Amino acid sequence: MPTRRLILKTGLATIAMPAVLRAQGLSGQITLQSYSGIFQDNYTKAVIEPFIAANPGVKVNFVPGGTSAQMVGTIRAQKADPQIDVSIMDVTTSSIGNLEGLFEKLTPAEFPVLDELLPEARKAGGEFGPAVTFDHLVLVYDAALTPPLAKLADLWRPDLKGQIALSAPPNIQGLALTAMVEKMEGGDYRKSIDAAMKKLRELAPSVNTFEPNPDGYSLILNGVVKVATGWNARSQLYGDQSNGKIRTLLPPEGSVFQINTINLSAGSKNRAAAAAFVRHALSQPAQKAFTERMFYAPTNAKAQIDAKAVARTAAAPESRSTMIPLDWNDILKVRDQWNNRWRREVIAAAR
Amino acid sequence: MSATRRLRLLLVPAGLFVLAIYAWPTLLLLRNAFNEVGPTGALVAAWSLKTAADTFADGFTFELTWNSIWLSLVATAIALALAYPLSLFLFRTTSRWRGVLAVIAILPMLISGVVRVFGWLAILGDRGLVNGLLQWLGLISAPLKLVFNWTGVTIGLAESIMPYMILALLAGFGQLDRTLEEASRSLGASPFRTFLRVTLPLSLPAIVLAAGLGFVLSMSAYITPKLLGGGRVFVLATEIFEQATTNTNWPAAAVLALYTLVLLLVLLAFSNLLARRLRR
Amino acid sequence: MSYLELAGLQKRYGASVAVDDVSLAVEKGEAVALLGPSGCGKTTTLRMLAGLVEPDRGAIRVDGIAMTNLPAHKRNMGYVFQSYALFPHLSVAGNVAFGLEERRRPKAEIARQVEDALALVRLAGLDQRRPRELSGGQQQRVALARALVIHPSVLLLDESLSNLDAKLRDAMRHEIRSIQRSLGITTLFVTHDQVEALTMCDRIAVMHRGRIAQIGTAEDIYERPATRFVAEFVGRANALPATRGPDGKVLLWNEPQPVTAPASGEFDVFVRPQRMRIVPLSEAVGAETVRVSGRILRSVFVGDHVEVLVEGAGGQLTVEMPSGSPALAEGAEVAVIWRAQDSLPFPREAP
Repeated sequence: MPTRRLILKTGLATIAMPAVLRAQGLSGQITLQSYSGIFQDNYTKAVIEPFIAANPGVKVNFVPGGTSAQMVGTIRAQKADPQIDVSIMDVTTSSIGNLEGLFEKLTPAEFPVLDELLPEARKAGGEFGPAVTFDHLVLVYDAALTPPLAKLADLWRPDLKGQIALSAPPNIQGLALTAMVEKMEGGDYRKSIDAAMKKLRELAPSVNTFEPNPDGYSLILNGVVKVATGWNARSQLYGDQSNGKIRTLLPPEGSVFQINTINLSAGSKNRAAAAAFVRHALSQPAQKAFTERMFYAPTNAKAQIDAKAVARTAAAPESRSTMIPLDWNDILKVRDQWNNRWRREVIAAAR
Repeated sequence: MSATRRLRLLLVPAGLFVLAIYAWPTLLLLRNAFNEVGPTGALVAAWSLKTAADTFADGFTFELTWNSIWLSLVATAIALALAYPLSLFLFRTTSRWRGVLAVIAILPMLISGVVRVFGWLAILGDRGLVNGLLQWLGLISAPLKLVFNWTGVTIGLAESIMPYMILALLAGFGQLDRTLEEASRSLGASPFRTFLRVTLPLSLPAIVLAAGLGFVLSMSAYITPKLLGGGRVFVLATEIFEQATTNTNWPAAAVLALYTLVLLLVLLAFSNLLARRLRR
Repeated sequence: MSYLELAGLQKRYGASVAVDDVSLAVEKGEAVALLGPSGCGKTTTLRMLAGLVEPDRGAIRVDGIAMTNLPAHKRNMGYVFQSYALFPHLSVAGNVAFGLEERRRPKAEIARQVEDALALVRLAGLDQRRPRELSGGQQQRVALARALVIHPSVLLLDESLSNLDAKLRDAMRHEIRSIQRSLGITTLFVTHDQVEALTMCDRIAVMHRGRIAQIGTAEDIYERPATRFVAEFVGRANALPATRGPDGKVLLWNEPQPVTAPASGEFDVFVRPQRMRIVPLSEAVGAETVRVSGRILRSVFVGDHVEVLVEGAGGQLTVEMPSGSPALAEGAEVAVIWRAQDSLPFPREAP
């Protein structure tokens, strides 16, 4: 039915037309909310600046939002009068925003780039904002540590007593670590975390802090601890910036993905520009640029990324094969319970 | 309009200000306490007591309460033990350095809490000043755990509330008159007996005032427990923060915040009563 | 050896000398006033005696026992402060009992002695009051009872009446004096009020610039002042500038007078106003009478006497005449006469 197909195509084109026209004449200001520090620096360089270059009429205002939970809190507080147009945050909190109607659903018609994304990136946001970066939990350690850290089980090495910084739940690093230790002990977090609790309880006396401030990477660089839990992208970058003083280990026992989604605020005051930015952030060039700069794995399947960079991300084949399939929505439901068990069974043992 | 009535007009700006910055947010807090959260943390608007019921059904809430009160008591006691002699000295000294000394004593107040906490890490850490010194002296072989636990939080908190307590003590020392101590000496009381029988009882109202302030500040402090606690120190303030900013559980945070508020009001009323009885 | 002896006491504060070489001997049961203007060192002397100020030099002995190095609480001296220094947190009875409690006397004895002491100062029945519930005079009595109840070796009173109103002060003066006499307690009384000193004490030590200018009975001090300062400070005096005539005779107001001049130097002649009389110019006078002439400027009735201001060749002088003397017209030319022995020549001080 050629005619019908033609009509359909024409129709789509007609629908798409206004968007394209609007995109060409974009102006005004949009506000992007995300993590501060090196994320802000690198995201500005790799993604925001090219966007501004292509859309000289648009000003992008980057607001450091604190933790993901604080970001969704900010948007919740501004529900009646949104000041933030686009947010990049952890999927566990963006899903809360999705449920509360704080974010818009995105359609492939308006956002054709959605069709270029990896299936798991689409799935992360459902009908809402998809994944924009992938990351995974790693162990970060002092390069001077001998012997170097080789696996997750090495955390229990006696020479590391008092030398470990890890983020306990409700921090998602702690949640991820729980699932990882459970798997290391041959269990499955969906059934029980008893084995993980038992094992972590043994680790407790070795832990220097359960709440690294400002973060584990800094504590290693400052000589406070030798090992910390961390996220791959930041760890890779800090490793480079410190001339290799810290190293990153992807535990062979398996790791867990961390997903950042990109979200368009419902009621955005400059929706056209905000939508254009979302499309840009998910596009192949932006994904490529940011991955090569900061080692977050891309979510755009078609992005052509330098092999060396890919090898240092969660997208590397050897990384993907060891990942524990973990649904953050399931974790959210048990978060309080895990949190309580950590406090009573793990942290209490470290006093 | 009578003079008193006109005088009361002077309260209007402050009253409006308090209403705007205090009463309104407290009302919002109250509203939030009746909301619920869904299984994944999404806020569900409601008028229910479920969040409150859950909070008080959890034994951890009372553990937190006890932790907060105990920590505040210990930190206040330590700070008082240090601030009292210091304040007495500052109140008494006729040195021309008095002004400078007073400023030094309250200087920590002007330094951001975060910076101060990192200072304490440098002093109390495994490789910090104290452990370094003790190891160098050969008194210990392995570093003492002075930070990222209750010890560190107690020390840090005591230091952070001390300047406020010094100011409160200095303000409350009004009744303290050197001549009274001289009278005591002339009547045969040694300096120590004079302190016990004259100086201490006369400074008791100031002590109650300062201790009350220190306690309230300790109860509401969260930066110090958060940054020096190493994730091992759970008090009401950190839990409120955690619920609000990590768990996105505003209703639970609101319930805990109101609970803490009521707790503090009760304790304040009690200390006021005590102070009034002492002043009698 | 006297009961209380101060020998060569000195106290410096930086460059200024508060007390300079004060020596004083007081007999048992004697009341001595330290009289002088503010800043003359009298209070510092008293405080050194009580042990509240440490002397730089000198010695203090009571009943032959050296006190100089004893701390205040071991000196057993009763001190009544200018501000009374009652303990606001203790009742009247508590205040009075304080010293006895510090001496660890039995409870029953303390109760009895407190009662007696309060009866002595006529405050029986007020023992449960707080100091702030008492009038100034009552507070003064409590302070006195508190100092007396310990049976002090010496009673020290520091400007103790200066905070009372005139009428009360008068009554207290006599009361304290009679208590002091009846107890036979050795007393040192600091005051700047000569009436207090003259009425309450057996002897007066006039202090000037950290030194004792003169010690003596009230009459000694008043009638035979040893220095110009004493003559000026105690009682009132006219100071008439004297000159020496060509024949060596003393001239007052340009008239030769039967007054003995000091060997050398410029000097003034001091005369008490009540020793002077006003007579008509025509009245003849004897050889031992001093006579100057002038004009009446003003005549003021002040109750028990009339003050007459007379101006003559050498300046002005004041004459005190008993009330009821014949009225004198202003502007009248008169003579002022007094006995030569009432003339007190003192060298003129360099300003």
